Amino acid sequence: MRRFEAIQKIMETVTDEIVVCNLGHPSRELFVIKDRQKNFYMLGSMGLASSIGLGLAMSVEKRVIVIEGDGSVLMNLGTLTTIRANQPKNFILIIVDNEAYGSTGFQITFTSKGINLDKISKACNIHKTILITKEAGIKDVMEKILKSNDGPYCVVIKTEKGLPDNIPIIPYDSITIKDRFMRSI
Amino acid sequence: MKGSLLTPSEKLYAKLKEQRLNFFVSVPCQLLKELINLLENDSEVIYTPVTREEEGIGILAGAFLAGKRPAIVMQNSGIGNCINAICSLLNYYRIPIVFIISYRGTKGEAIDAQKPMGNATKPLLQDANVKFYEISALEELDLIDKGISEDYAQDKSVAFLFPFSFWK
Repeated sequence: MRRFEAIQKIMETVTDEIVVCNLGHPSRELFVIKDRQKNFYMLGSMGLASSIGLGLAMSVEKRVIVIEGDGSVLMNLGTLTTIRANQPKNFILIIVDNEAYGSTGFQITFTSKGINLDKISKACNIHKTILITKEAGIKDVMEKILKSNDGPYCVVIKTEKGLPDNIPIIPYDSITIKDRFMRSI
Repeated sequence: MKGSLLTPSEKLYAKLKEQRLNFFVSVPCQLLKELINLLENDSEVIYTPVTREEEGIGILAGAFLAGKRPAIVMQNSGIGNCINAICSLLNYYRIPIVFIISYRGTKGEAIDAQKPMGNATKPLLQDANVKFYEISALEELDLIDKGISEDYAQDKSVAFLFPFSFWK
């Protein structure tokens, strides 16, 4: 399973939740898999997808799902503590961990060197942390989470490196993404 | 509150409430201690401390997208930790936030290490395209109204710098 397949499986379970997605290829892949007005595609400011999602979750009732990457989360590791300090029940952080910077040539990140983001999340006492290593596990976990009334959740999905071919640049500009997102939530 | 005997922090806080700012993050400064305490105890606003200013910018961007009126309360040294977030998130998406910044490393500063960022604050804000106002006395607090009605209302972030003279 690469990140693309993981995002596919995640989005099969998403209905009207808010989704915030990490910059670079994750957003481009999400756009191809299931573009929606409620997707906020982060285009710059690496590291902040989880923070944007947290601000949203603290402000609205709706469920907020963040699709993050290992490199991005490592850049803003404090986010796990801030999530814990606020514990918004409607917040789901999904870290797609391919142990690399997938949008810049697959340079390795430290999750390939014995750093386990799920263990860090557990150590931060986020309400519930779940580690998924097989594609088949995603649907079940997501459905259970979305049926529950509790949270926040941190879901770490270990994937292989790799990009599908021919994933286009998102054809919308930042203002269009922002405006349609704000109208839809 | 005590009316005409309000402290500078209480007057600033009253102004922020008057402007209906309702989602705050902070990274502390000694000068901001009282303001942060007021925000912590205000059940009408959403407030969280953050681990780093850049993280706070991300959270506030999310709050804005949800319809909140967000502000960060921070020391000017933290501007250096925000530049990419200001340029590539706030400016790029035209998501405005209000910066309430204690202006260290300027006249009255006792800690020498604050001086480099004291000098860099205005050039950095300028280069990051963030309009700033220096509020050096209580009488100038109305500049907050000006900044919010002119810049923030047009989806541009605006910063208010409070040097030592304000807090006396």
